Amino acid sequence: MRIACPHCGDRGLDEFVFLGDARVTRPMADAAEPADAFHAYGYLRMNPAGPTDELWFHAAGCHAWLVVTRDTRTHVIASVRLARDVALELRAVASTTEDASA
Amino acid sequence: MPDPILQPASAVAAWTPVATAGLSIDVRDDLTIAGIAPFRGKAQAVSEALAERYGLALPAACRRISGDDITLQWSGPDQWIAIAGRGAARDLEVELKPLLAGPAAVVEHSDARAVGVFSGKHARDVLAKGLPIDLHERAFRVGDVAITHANHIGVTITQTGNEPAYEIMLYRSYADSFADWLRHATAELTA
Ligand SMILES: [Zn+2]
Repeated sequence: MRIACPHCGDRGLDEFVFLGDARVTRPMADAAEPADAFHAYGYLRMNPAGPTDELWFHAAGCHAWLVVTRDTRTHVIASVRLARDVALELRAVASTTEDASA
Repeated sequence: MPDPILQPASAVAAWTPVATAGLSIDVRDDLTIAGIAPFRGKAQAVSEALAERYGLALPAACRRISGDDITLQWSGPDQWIAIAGRGAARDLEVELKPLLAGPAAVVEHSDARAVGVFSGKHARDVLAKGLPIDLHERAFRVGDVAITHANHIGVTITQTGNEPAYEIMLYRSYADSFADWLRHATAELTA
């Protein structure tokens, strides 16, 4: 498997470290039912047979965190985005939603 | 005063014994190196300040650019390093800090790095034994920079000449491990 780092280009798997599911988000400490929320965040995963978003770290390269969209059945990678960009997009969406509901 | 017990020693002295016909290794113990990390949104301002002073702008990702008296090299997202000969006690950290005091953090790197230039007809083949990236000229050219590893030792490689010549830069404490690997990688040439 090779991952096309947005900074460095196409690199072998040996340069990357896998972190896990990129679709989970850490609950706030004041979440409703915090024990359930943190249990789900810590342990519950979808384990899909198909496309999934994963966090990978370019450890032996540029040290960027990446969100890799990969099909677990074929290892075909549909997209690689900088985790920072993904997080900023989510934050922008969240603040727009807040503005709309205010 | 008693004589000091510690003597200065080259971190890269162990690299040179493997040099042979077709593989020259020029260790660079004479460099001053400074890291440049522009603050958020300030890369353009840093680039302009450097261009005004040295005639060089910050290079794009995976690239390096050299002028008469300074080299600027990409060093990761939003990071660069400046490299020059130490000459008459030149110190890039001292030189760049006032120039970039507003838009960037400037940090001394000289003593953190071990640097050598590998050239000659065997340079590419020897390095290709340890580096996982494609060093063929259609994939990697003069001025190209890659942050990768050599036999699991983190290295930054730059092609510096067409001969070909490559500069290898790594963290100094790994210099001996790298020399060990180099000895094995060049065994077929030196036997
Ligand atoms: Zn990278």
